Amino acid sequence: MADLGVVTKALLAIARDTIDDRALAMRICRACVDGLDVDGAAISLLTAGAARQTLAATDAVAELLEDLQFTFNEGACMEAARTGNPVLVGDLRHSGEVERWPMFAAAVLERSAVRAVFALPLQWGAVNLGVLDLYRLQPGALDDGQLRDAIAAADAAALMMLGLRTDPDRGGVDWLDDAVAHRAEIHQAAGMVSVQLDVTTAEALARMRAHAFVHDRLLVDVARDVVARRLMFTEDWEQ
Amino acid sequence: MRSSEGVPAMDRSSNEREELISRAFVTLADTLVDDYDVIDLLDRLVGFCVELLPAEAAGIVLGDARRELRAVAASDEAAQVVELLQLQADEGPCLDCFQTATPVIVADLSAAIDRWPMFVPAVEQRTHFRSVHALPLRLRGRAIGALNLFGAIPAALPQLDLALGQALADVATIGILQERAIRRGDVLSEQLQVALNSRVVIEQAKGALAQHGGLSTEKAFERLRQYARSHELRLSELARRVAEKEFDLAEILPPARQTRP
Repeated sequence: MADLGVVTKALLAIARDTIDDRALAMRICRACVDGLDVDGAAISLLTAGAARQTLAATDAVAELLEDLQFTFNEGACMEAARTGNPVLVGDLRHSGEVERWPMFAAAVLERSAVRAVFALPLQWGAVNLGVLDLYRLQPGALDDGQLRDAIAAADAAALMMLGLRTDPDRGGVDWLDDAVAHRAEIHQAAGMVSVQLDVTTAEALARMRAHAFVHDRLLVDVARDVVARRLMFTEDWEQ
Repeated sequence: MRSSEGVPAMDRSSNEREELISRAFVTLADTLVDDYDVIDLLDRLVGFCVELLPAEAAGIVLGDARRELRAVAASDEAAQVVELLQLQADEGPCLDCFQTATPVIVADLSAAIDRWPMFVPAVEQRTHFRSVHALPLRLRGRAIGALNLFGAIPAALPQLDLALGQALADVATIGILQERAIRRGDVLSEQLQVALNSRVVIEQAKGALAQHGGLSTEKAFERLRQYARSHELRLSELARRVAEKEFDLAEILPPARQTRP
């Protein structure tokens, strides 16, 4: 892989099997604080829905930012979750962006010393899994290298949260084989299975993963079979 | 005037061709209005490549935040073309073009087997393509991706076609990065990420529609595109609603007869 940033490298070094989702989210947040020019990080899930929750926050300020967004039902992180696009605000005091969430911006400036917020969606196609929120006390944008690292890290984190590593232990902690993770067949198959089972795309992917795991196959091969209509998921396929 | 490789597209008179070219650029400019859909733009653009240039297929790859190449558009949604694009994450004209930010012209693929020992045999086994051109999506001396043109006969594109291909590649760059952002000198990674993710949504929607209507994913894409255009919907937005089950699929396509027991 070319040009990996320090955060992305740190994420790829995490061994998935040893930790649960909260611990994984905390490792991702800490990697961001260590590797990027930011003071704190948090990951929230289901940010746009009713069952939203903060999975990890590196400190009390990061937690406050999450709480404020949930309180006001607006903010950079909610916008990132809703649109699927990164929301980057280098200076909360001098930015037109804050007009879209004025209550959140005012509350942050009043109750904390935070000046910059960067919200990166954990996105898989149409599916939003949550948002990685970063903040800094000093104003200023992330430089190009850091932003690329942060976006790549959010991309990696999204796939980790989805558990795309389905290769049942063929040696090594190979989280993300890019060539595999971004194969069109996987996305197409997830869409097909979601209709077969009448479930969300994310759940369809989980079912494909489970199938791959049980049958000791690669996810991409299962996806190819689905697209070629050699494999169809039904409600009772597991029996 | 056209050179004479004998490709059908070249039989047209030069007037007719001029007209086609200007119509293409007018259409593309019309697409670039406020709040346009990048996937729709790129989809039209690769269509024009095949229509205006002696190319059998065209596709666009973009470098993601890790500068790994990923396919975002193809004139032919058949898996083989998309796969040829994706294969070049590891080696191929697109990768070389992306890394050097200069055009890579392969007039005769069979002579290039030493240069790309995996890519060339893959093309030869799966397709009848004999030539490949990769043109950079350029920005400030760097490349953000590449436009790939596949030809059925071993020949280099004439200079005029090459210039037209590069102009189309430049339109793609503007469309992806948004002109305003380029003028402001903003960071680009986020726009790239948005374009790449829109592509994933399209694939998910293709799958859902293919399953619902009992057709191939290519056909499903055709129907999705037709529906978006005839109803003046943004292709990405329609795809998102389809993938998230917020859209009645029967509106787009009658359901397939149930084959399940």
